[in-house]
Amino acid sequence: MLSHFVIGAATGLYLGDLLFYLISFILLMLLVKHFAWGPITKMMDSRADKISNDLDYAEKSRDEASKLQAQRQQALDASQTEAAGIVSDARENGEKQRQTIVANAEDSAKTLKANAAKDIEQERKDALKGAQDDVAALSIEIASKIIQKELKADDHKALVDSYIEGLGKQNGAR
Amino acid sequence: MNEETYVVKFLGIPFNLTNVISGLVAFAIVFCLVYALSRNPKLRPTGKQNVLEWLIDFTNGIVSSNIPGEQGKKFNLFAFVLFLFIFVSNQIGLIVEVIVGGVTYVKSPTSDPMVTMSLALMVLLLTHFFGVKRFGAKGYLVNSYLRPVSFLLPVEILEEFTNFLTLSFRLYGNIFAGEVLLLFIGSIAKSHGLVTSVVMLPLEMIWQGFSVFIGSIQAYVFVTLSMVYLSQKIEKE
Repeated sequence: MLSHFVIGAATGLYLGDLLFYLISFILLMLLVKHFAWGPITKMMDSRADKISNDLDYAEKSRDEASKLQAQRQQALDASQTEAAGIVSDARENGEKQRQTIVANAEDSAKTLKANAAKDIEQERKDALKGAQDDVAALSIEIASKIIQKELKADDHKALVDSYIEGLGKQNGAR
Repeated sequence: MNEETYVVKFLGIPFNLTNVISGLVAFAIVFCLVYALSRNPKLRPTGKQNVLEWLIDFTNGIVSSNIPGEQGKKFNLFAFVLFLFIFVSNQIGLIVEVIVGGVTYVKSPTSDPMVTMSLALMVLLLTHFFGVKRFGAKGYLVNSYLRPVSFLLPVEILEEFTNFLTLSFRLYGNIFAGEVLLLFIGSIAKSHGLVTSVVMLPLEMIWQGFSVFIGSIQAYVFVTLSMVYLSQKIEKE
């Protein structure tokens, strides 16, 4: 092979170069594919997959989050209306209770007043009756005294006055 | 630029040793680079993995902008390796140029027309192959040459050859010119000792920087055009 060394012009048509470059290019492509292109493109593909998966996942979790948010908002609204209901109920109940208490108080006050009036009336009646009895007793006493001794007109008058005075005192003392 | 190269005959087929060595260097660099960058891939990319993923995204972007949809996916690896190989090949000649005894051993593989023609041929063969695979032999012929109007048939046939030539010689011309100028500036720098070296050093650096830019652009253009030709053959017109 070495005996075929010749020094030739660069402009010659060297078919061997063509073959050499074709074959080595194909070889280089195979080597690159096996050692570099394969692993790297695989990694790039898996990264693209991962990114798209992550995007999908993010989309899904965002949907879920907004759903949860809506639910929470709903629950909050519901609890607010509930609270407002409870407050107004309580107020209503309080009002009702107040009214019943007031009504009861008025009733009992009325009964007390009525009882008191009745008592007063009774006592007044009792007093009047007592006074009548006293007057009758006094009249009887006076009559008996008059009968016992003769009285002058002046003495008579003084007697009546003193009696009436004594009656008034008796009434005032009671 | 050195015109002398070793030619080895193996099984009666002539091999240009310069191209073989430079090509091997380029292939080795591409493989080592990609191999080093792809160690221990993680779901959360860091450092070197980001670099590799950015490269992959870049070439995937070239493919998907020309061949949209699922169909383009199977060309992603091809575009990636093609881009990296051409890019690295373009830059090799800017960094090292091994010339021993008047014979070049290492240079940019893409500064040789034979190499760029090999690459262009490979791409165009692929376009025809996938065209036939997609539509069947008859459908491929109709879709490629008779649509949208049949009277453009001669132009379409001619285009196959011009595509091949422009694709290969655009890359070759750009890189070859860059290397020629680089060597030319280098030879001026060496001609009168220290004085010319000091003067030519910034010039060389500027041209090297510019060549890096050109090499990147050309790699991008080559891959983009390959994908355009592919899409012409496998997309319904």
